Amino acid sequence: MRVAPEDETFLDRPIDRRSLIRKGIAFVGASALVPPAYLRAVFDEHSASTADAATLPPAQRKILVVLQLAGGNDGLNTVIPVGDRNYYDARPTLAIKADTALPLDRGLALHPAMTGMKTLYNRGQLGVVLGVGYPAPNRSHFRSMDIWHSASFEERSESGWLGRLLDVTRQEQQSLWRAVNIGEEQPASLDSRSSFVPSLGSVPAYVLQTDTRFPAEGTRRTQNFVQLYARQSEALARQAAYGGQLAFVSKTGLQAYRSTVDLQKTVNEYKPRVTYPSTPLGSALLTTAQLVASTNLGTGVCYVTTGGFDTHAGQWGAQNNLLGTVSNALLAFYDDLNAQGLGEAVTTVVWTEFGRRVKENGSRGTDHGTAGPMFVVGGGVKPGLHGEQPGVGATDADGDLKFSTDFRSVYASVIAQRFGVDPKDVLGASFPTLPLFA
Amino acid sequence: MALTTERQRIQHLLRRAGFGYNASELDEYVLIGLKASVERLLSPERVDDRAADEALAGLRAKASEDRGALTAWWQMRMVLSRRPLLEKLTFYWHDHWATGIRKVNNPAFMLAQNDTIRAGALGRFSDLALAITRDPAMMVWLDSTSNIVRAPNENYARELMELFTLGEGNGYTEKDVYEAARALTGWRILQDKPTTEVRFPAATGVALTRSQHDTGIKTVLGVTGHFADETVVDIVTSRRECAEYLGRRLWQFFAVPEPTAEMVERTTRVYFESDTCVRDMLRVILTSEEMYSDAAYRWRIKSPVEYITQALRSLDLSDRAGQAMREQRVQGQVLFDPPSPAGWDWGEAWINSNTLLARANFANNITLRGKPGQTVDVAAWLRERRATGSAAAAVDAVLDLVVGGDVDAGTRALLMDHIGGPLHYDFAQASKSGALQGLLYLALTMPVAHLA
Repeated sequence: MRVAPEDETFLDRPIDRRSLIRKGIAFVGASALVPPAYLRAVFDEHSASTADAATLPPAQRKILVVLQLAGGNDGLNTVIPVGDRNYYDARPTLAIKADTALPLDRGLALHPAMTGMKTLYNRGQLGVVLGVGYPAPNRSHFRSMDIWHSASFEERSESGWLGRLLDVTRQEQQSLWRAVNIGEEQPASLDSRSSFVPSLGSVPAYVLQTDTRFPAEGTRRTQNFVQLYARQSEALARQAAYGGQLAFVSKTGLQAYRSTVDLQKTVNEYKPRVTYPSTPLGSALLTTAQLVASTNLGTGVCYVTTGGFDTHAGQWGAQNNLLGTVSNALLAFYDDLNAQGLGEAVTTVVWTEFGRRVKENGSRGTDHGTAGPMFVVGGGVKPGLHGEQPGVGATDADGDLKFSTDFRSVYASVIAQRFGVDPKDVLGASFPTLPLFA
Repeated sequence: MALTTERQRIQHLLRRAGFGYNASELDEYVLIGLKASVERLLSPERVDDRAADEALAGLRAKASEDRGALTAWWQMRMVLSRRPLLEKLTFYWHDHWATGIRKVNNPAFMLAQNDTIRAGALGRFSDLALAITRDPAMMVWLDSTSNIVRAPNENYARELMELFTLGEGNGYTEKDVYEAARALTGWRILQDKPTTEVRFPAATGVALTRSQHDTGIKTVLGVTGHFADETVVDIVTSRRECAEYLGRRLWQFFAVPEPTAEMVERTTRVYFESDTCVRDMLRVILTSEEMYSDAAYRWRIKSPVEYITQALRSLDLSDRAGQAMREQRVQGQVLFDPPSPAGWDWGEAWINSNTLLARANFANNITLRGKPGQTVDVAAWLRERRATGSAAAAVDAVLDLVVGGDVDAGTRALLMDHIGGPLHYDFAQASKSGALQGLLYLALTMPVAHLA
């Protein structure tokens, strides 16, 4: 992601020279090398990137978690039309029997591994949006993900839908942790013109390490690290040197340093009320809980990705594990959030780039298809089924499901009903909303 | 900074067509000059690499059984090999024909594919394309093994066109994908362990089962016949779209972010004149004026593997196999584990707060001092380079190695200040306080060090 050059929020902090001197930073020597604007931005802890924006405690905020199932989850074996003969005809080896599936409503049932989601459903914390897709479905993972991430059909979209939501709701003084990607690669959904979005692998590793045998040198080293980033950002950004990449790296480095300081201060105080599954997704959701529960960080959007859903062959066991993992992790997450009093504050939206073909292939798997269900969990959700399940017997010319709800309608509902923002400002056009939230 | 001296051009060439350089290696290339350096890089068969083979024999022996050993083996091969372009190109192809162990689940297959790619890296693209089409790891990764006459599986056929040869939507239809999938039906893998012998471009360990092959008439990109995989590969690799797609990607990987149509035309011409020879395409790129232009300089963000390899290679850290996989993971690029058949996202996607911290902490690890082969003793290194006399000498030696001396005066002054300042510098004191280690750390982590 490129941070737009006009984003100078980080640099505009009020200065407090005295506090700098108090903290013993080599201010005189350093000022000859680095413009004071950078020093004050970097070292003045009172200009911290957090507290100014996040005055509301998390329970009073509306927080969005987006969970991506990468690879194209087989929606038909997730929310199963157990009442439909055509489904059983299309899937001689992969169809899931009605008596093993977990019944919902309208002849639909959850995959047997999704006991956690069923619990959430019974509690009234789960909404299911049926038959979600878009016109002229693209079967390429990459292209289809692009479309979902950007909510646009343009070949090269510069921003993601969440990024634009961040742009529209941007505040003068905002927390660096307002939106966070939990993981190592930032998803295109979070590409924003105005806001830097940190990616967080694990909390304990999120510090700038130095040699503990030389503590004094370590302190100077960290200061000089920051100064080098500041000066290369300043000196060379002006010349747009090296295709602008030097400015990009410098800016990211400065923000990374600041974000370590902010994060360590607040997250360590969190005490989970349940044991999360020891899966990567379980850890990611625990980290999510730590972030969103903090008043200081002011985190409003978290993004989590879990992969492996591209089940071209041997789908039975694979999908069983995948859906079990997702379902167990989400249940633990909401058990914890409920116990923290945050179950109503945090809404989780689950998506995948496409469903799979109606007919199974010759490898006991399924190839890339079209529409599938989305899940909306927790905060404010109107529980139950939303939209219409596409008929297995009423497929398109390629034998695939016809979508009944455009994914942008789901985005629009979240944007309007949870954030009170006009969806047109984020999506560029109007889409009918669903009554997803009470 | 522009590339004004021959030394700078060679440093630039070695960052792009290799993984950087250590001090003595750079001296060797500078001695023979730029032109001969390009030819030396393009002719790896003329360079004796047995020392690297021997050093890596132990890891190699375990690589077909153990994923960690496999990953470490290739990481250290990149660090130790005296054939930098061959390793860089193998790395490029690994991203191009991206195949992931998380699905293949068989290190022996991944190792065999890596050998195949290395054997065919500089040869004819059409040979490599056919070898990959019949490669066991790829066959598992994109489901070729379940592509049979009664139930064609389009996965490989689609990616062959979309990602490997033509580019997405570039001159083919859904129908072409389906017909190509039919022509590719019937291949199976004979054993779990492929033979270790590479007979590129001949396929090893796979066979066509007649009864599972679709013998009917197919039409792919306008060519009709009873053909199978060889003809499909010939059809797609003889398209102009393929030459342009490949050429554009090679220009972008080695030279400039936005090759012009005229530049792509140059590689396209050579592609057809040389019967798809990659070595000849690369010669066009590496000897071009554009390769050494301002537009080519430092715009490329190093990938994690490039960042790790350049750091280890430049500092002769040959004993980091044990940490290789973990380092790659935290920095966001694990060899043999690309995120998708499209490979990795390059450029700015490598850099975020998390990965940049991981890079800095990696630099801290290799400058902790105390474990020869794993960490650098900067004082000893400076002594070897006879650069102990002044703060300027120390800073300049480190900067020349790590970033080709490419910093502004203020940065240089700040680094001198870190080791005691131009007037009060004391080599013994700077060594004892950890400041010299800090100097190298700061050079390895500063913004320009992330650009190739």
